Amino acid sequence: MVHKTIIDELTRSKITKMLGDGRRADGRGMEEQRPVRIETGAIPKASGSARVFLGNTEVVAGVKIQPDRPFPDVGDRGIFICTAEILPLAHPDIETGPPNPAVIELARVVDRGIRESGMIDLSQLVLEKNKSVMGVFADNSVIDVDGNLFDACSYASTAALLTARIPKWEMRGDAPARVEGEEYDAPVTTIPASVTMAKIGDSIVVDPNQDEWSVMDARVTITTNSDGNVCALQKGGSSGFTYDELVRCSELSVSVGSRVREQIRAKGAAVRGDG
Amino acid sequence: MGGRDTDVVLLDENGVRCDGRRIDQTRRVEIRAGVLRNAHGSAYIEFGDNKILAGVFGPRDVHPKHMSDTDTGILRCRYHMSPFSVTERKNPAPSRREIEISKVIKEALEPSLMLEKFPRTVVDVFMEVLQADGGSRCAALSAASVALADAGIPMRDMVCACAAGKVADTIVLDVNNEEDQAGQADMPVGYMPNMDRITLIQLDGVLTPDEYKRCVRTAVDGCRQVYEVQKKALADRFFGGGGKEGSGDGA
Amino acid sequence: MAGARHQNVMPGDVITTGPYRPEEHTVLDGKRILATAVGVSEIRDDSVRVVPLAGMYYPRVKDFVIGKVVSHTSLSWELEINSCYVGFLPASDVFGRDFSAHADDLTSHLAKGDMVAARVANFDRTRDPLLTVQDRDLGKIDIGELASLAPGKVPHLIGKNGSTIRAIEESCRATLAVGDNGWVVITADDPDGLLKAERAVRMIDEGAHEAGISERVRSMLETG
Repeated sequence: MVHKTIIDELTRSKITKMLGDGRRADGRGMEEQRPVRIETGAIPKASGSARVFLGNTEVVAGVKIQPDRPFPDVGDRGIFICTAEILPLAHPDIETGPPNPAVIELARVVDRGIRESGMIDLSQLVLEKNKSVMGVFADNSVIDVDGNLFDACSYASTAALLTARIPKWEMRGDAPARVEGEEYDAPVTTIPASVTMAKIGDSIVVDPNQDEWSVMDARVTITTNSDGNVCALQKGGSSGFTYDELVRCSELSVSVGSRVREQIRAKGAAVRGDG
Repeated sequence: MGGRDTDVVLLDENGVRCDGRRIDQTRRVEIRAGVLRNAHGSAYIEFGDNKILAGVFGPRDVHPKHMSDTDTGILRCRYHMSPFSVTERKNPAPSRREIEISKVIKEALEPSLMLEKFPRTVVDVFMEVLQADGGSRCAALSAASVALADAGIPMRDMVCACAAGKVADTIVLDVNNEEDQAGQADMPVGYMPNMDRITLIQLDGVLTPDEYKRCVRTAVDGCRQVYEVQKKALADRFFGGGGKEGSGDGA
Repeated sequence: MAGARHQNVMPGDVITTGPYRPEEHTVLDGKRILATAVGVSEIRDDSVRVVPLAGMYYPRVKDFVIGKVVSHTSLSWELEINSCYVGFLPASDVFGRDFSAHADDLTSHLAKGDMVAARVANFDRTRDPLLTVQDRDLGKIDIGELASLAPGKVPHLIGKNGSTIRAIEESCRATLAVGDNGWVVITADDPDGLLKAERAVRMIDEGAHEAGISERVRSMLETG
């Protein structure tokens, strides 16, 4: 049997009772995200890396960039792949072995938010059309779990990508060859920011922690780009949202997302040539 | 296995190695205990350019049940490398190398643990290599032992680990990545300092009988140095960095 | 090495080579008595033991524990008790002798996530700890806040003859149900008292090995 995290009834009733009065058990406002701390360059051997704390949730993301074969239908674009693993040391209920559906969803939602925003201009990562392109891998390792892994992984990957240095490769004859010592900033067009909100009873709260995650009825993750447009969305959990709630969530994702985006942008400005 | 041709001068005429160390010096080692919130015990080690996390859970119920032993607790270990930990991206699925290292680390830790006190349970040790450098199995083992002590698992001794090897026809302590690639032999050793038992030892490369003896002794000296760092990590965690003085607070 | 009465120790450290009896969290190796956990060693009369600063709860018969219901079969509940073993509460203990697995629904009394105050009725190496709620002040806990500290530090929370716990309860106008397994349920008249009581438990968890911890908790309680 797989042990699933069971929240104790004392905590559950405290959370729902306080939400009824418009308050959260950890003292935050309903629309208040936990403090976000971003450290870039945590893994010097990666092309780009970031360690992100979202409250007590902690993620390390590393970016590897290397020559690859393009996907057959898009030979004129580089490859971007984002993965996520919840390390078994991150929580007592995580099991080793192939990823379960929840972890696969996590990786795909983080991937989609960044991919659909068009953050990385993949057309600039072609060595030879239909033959050889640069592949960009952003791998997330969750090392401590306290709810809302979606946003923590998203911020970590985004910060790692923004601060990544792409090693320069060129075609020599038939094969790609490394141009020693040369590297350049990742071609970035926009900075996506993901914001996850939970519905608990009739309340919507931004950035649910693990206790709130355990009692929530439904959740929605909305990623916006630098222009304030929505570019990816994922609903989860065994309940539904009203139209009005979804409108409110989209507005929250823009306002909360813009603050995190500035934090990530500042990390990029410190290392990138384009400021 | 002979040394490969290389441009790097592994050992100069003054006995200084390619990274500036003397032959009896380890790389920089730092350990912190209690770094994870959810794990029952944890430690983080930086050993040269290795950056490794270890987390411990248990003793706890065994799943699947059929693995449990009615006479004793069991130990499970997982040594795993993050995809971004090495120069070329590593597939996240466990490799044969990682599975073998997990096994030798488990067998290195088992003699230190008193799991017979906890029949039908398991202790899980998870080691994650966030950045890999030469000697990652020794670094992972040293971190794991600190994490086990942090979790309060009963143990008769710590296990500390360090490698020695043969580089430019000389026995040196703590072989680094370049020396491993171009050197002549690498011998990782895990050691229980108070029990005086070697619980992990492997060797790649050719040594004369005399070199073999010196290599083991050199590695054990290195282990003792790592042991001091392990003790400091636990003292910082539990005694606020204080030494061995008693608290005198007889509650 | 037979030095101070109290000494900070780590696994493998030699506490003494003297003629003492090795007790909890120590092991005899030839003439040496070694610590098996990080903690504070105590040499008392003719015996040596270590008070550990980390580690899980190891059940003992008659202990008072706070548990969380994690699952049930048709005959019993399983309770997480912050231990290497799951506590086992038979249905008949709650429903009485005429319990019927067909007629009685266990979840009507205790459901997943419910917190329970219980006592360890039986335990040995061969079986999981058997719990009972057949006593005054035992059974389901309906209100309160859950706090925790390392099980080895519970005696520090209680204090000499219960002095520390009494000081906390009086000063915070709170009631603390302190499980020997390190789980504590706090109920207080007002939120400030609750916060203060939680702080006191945290202080003891973080500083139990330090000199004068009970005095420092007391002065925190007085000054707020």
